[in-house]
Amino acid sequence: MPSQTDAVRRQFADTLLSVGTADEKLVVMVGDISHGILQPFAKACPGRYFNIGILEPTMISMAAGLSSVGLRVVAHTIAPFIIERSFEQLKLDFVYQGLSGNIVTVGSAFDYSNLGCTHHCYGDFALLKTLPGVEVTHPASPAEFDALFRQAYADSHLTVYRIAGSTHGVDFRPEHIVLGKGIRLNEGKDLTLIATGPQLRTALEIREELLGNGVGTDVIYIHTIRPLDTDLILASVEKTRRVVVIEEHMRTGGLGDDVLRITRGVASVKYYSASIPDIFVHEYGSYEQLCDYVGLNSKAILVQIRAAGLVA
Amino acid sequence: MSENKVLNKDLRRQIVDMVVSGQDGHIPSAFSVVDIVTYLYASVLRFDASRPEWPDRDIFILSKGHGCLALYVNLYRHGFITEKDIHAFCKAGGILGEHPDRTRIPGVEASTGSLGHGFSFAVGIALGLTIQKRQNRVFVLLGDGECHEGTVWEGAHVACNRELGNLCVIIDWNRSGMQLLPKDDLPGKWRAFGWKTHEIDGHDEGQISEALASVHFSTPGVPTAIIARTVKGKGVPAIEGHGPWHHKIPNAREYHMIIEALR
Repeated sequence: MPSQTDAVRRQFADTLLSVGTADEKLVVMVGDISHGILQPFAKACPGRYFNIGILEPTMISMAAGLSSVGLRVVAHTIAPFIIERSFEQLKLDFVYQGLSGNIVTVGSAFDYSNLGCTHHCYGDFALLKTLPGVEVTHPASPAEFDALFRQAYADSHLTVYRIAGSTHGVDFRPEHIVLGKGIRLNEGKDLTLIATGPQLRTALEIREELLGNGVGTDVIYIHTIRPLDTDLILASVEKTRRVVVIEEHMRTGGLGDDVLRITRGVASVKYYSASIPDIFVHEYGSYEQLCDYVGLNSKAILVQIRAAGLVA
Repeated sequence: MSENKVLNKDLRRQIVDMVVSGQDGHIPSAFSVVDIVTYLYASVLRFDASRPEWPDRDIFILSKGHGCLALYVNLYRHGFITEKDIHAFCKAGGILGEHPDRTRIPGVEASTGSLGHGFSFAVGIALGLTIQKRQNRVFVLLGDGECHEGTVWEGAHVACNRELGNLCVIIDWNRSGMQLLPKDDLPGKWRAFGWKTHEIDGHDEGQISEALASVHFSTPGVPTAIIARTVKGKGVPAIEGHGPWHHKIPNAREYHMIIEALR
C-alpha cells in the first residue's frame, strides 16, 4: 500500500469531531493550520474552536490557562513553532504546573521538505524528554491517532501527538494500539529492528531482504516514545544481541539513545542508529528524497549494518 | 522620590523582615505593588481562603512574579498561608520562594517568574471562563519591564479580539523598563491594542479603588488596562528608584534605617 500523505491529519479532524461531540469539555485551538478540515468540529461544537492567531507561545500559555479551569484542550500547529519556539511555555505553563493537555503537531522531522530549516523539527523527542511526565506519541496511521488520542486526551498528563506526514502502511487493530506499549510485528532470533513513525515501512523492507538471506528479525514498532515500552525492547535485544533503531529524529536524544540506555547491560550487544545525523538539513526535494539524503532507506541501512557487522 | 502618603507600612515592614530572615528577595519590587495587591485582596477579590479552589472565586495572577512578597503578606493576612510559612521564606522545607508557585502555595493561581507567561495564561483562563459561561473575574498584575516581552502583546491582541471583558490588567508602571527603552508610551500602546485604559497613581487608594470600580467585567466586552504609576521601593526614600536595592539584602544598620522610615 502506498504511503498516504496527510491521512493521519484527516483522522485527527475526524477523531476531534467524534470526541468533541460527546465531550463538552474539549476545546481546540489552532495556529492558522488545518482550519479547513476542522470545520466539521467547529460547526458541531460551537464556541469550542479557535483559530487563535499566529502567536504560538501565547497559544500554549492560553491552552494551559484553559486547562487550569478544567477544560480539555487541544493545541495544534506546525511542530517547530510549538516544540521549539514555545518550549518554555510547554515547560512552565503546562508541565511544571501539573496541567494536562494535548499538543498535536504536523511538520515534524522534514515532512515539509521544501520549506527548509524553519519548518523542520527533528529534535522534538530530545526536547520533550526533558519534561517530566510528558507523554510523547508518534502516530503514523489513522488508527493509531484515533486510539492513542482517545486513551490519553483526558488523562492527567500533557500528551504530544507527533502526526506523521505519511503512513507506514500497516493496519493495526485498534485493540492492539495501547499507549506506552510497543507492537512486535514479527519474531526472529538474529536481529531486532525497532522503528517509529513511517520508518516502520523501511524496517519491514529490511526484514524481507534479510529473511531471504536466512536472517530472522524481531520487528518492533514504537508509537509511544514516552512512556517507552522498555520491557519489550530489552526482552528482544537480550535474545538477538543485535539492534537497529530507525527513526526520523536527530541521533542525539532520539529513540536510539533510549534503546542504548535500556540495553547497556546486554552482553556483547551491537547497535546501529539509522537516524538523522546531528546536522541541519540544507537540501530540498521531496520527503522521500530527504530520507535518502540522510540515509533513511532500506538499501542504505542494510549497507551500514552489514559494514558494522550486525548481519552477514 | 514620591510625595504622597505611605500606605501599608505594616506590610512593608513584614516584607523587609521576610527578606532579612530569608536572606533573599526583591524589596523595591514588592513595595512598588503592595498597595495595589493589598487593595485587591481587601476590597475587590472574591475568595474563600478555607477553599482556595472555590469555583466562584476571582482569579488574581501576579505575572511579575518577582513582586511575590507583596502577594505573600496578603495571602498570610487573609489566611491562605501560615506564620510558619512566612518564617520559612526561602528556607529549606518552606513553600515560599522568590517566585510564586502554584504547585506549593494555596491561593496562588499561576507559577510565575519568567516574564510574559502569567498574562497569556490568564488570557486563557478568561477565555475558558467565557466558554464555561462563568462570571469569575480575572485580574493580572504586570510589570512595565515585563511589557517588553512580545507575548504580552500577543495576549493583548487576542484578549481584545476575543472580547474578554472579564479580564483586567494592572500595569506596575514604575519606569523600570524605561531605563532600557525610554520611549515607552504604555497607556498609548494598550489603547492601540483596543483595551479600555485608565491611568492612576498606584499608591493612592482612592484612585486604585475608583479605577477598579469602573470596570464592568462583562463578556463579550472590552478588556481593561489600568496603568498604575508607581515608585519602586515606595515608602523608604533611601531605597526608592532603580539603584542597587533591586535585589539587595539589608544589613543590620540598613534594616533599622528601613524600619524607622516605615514607622
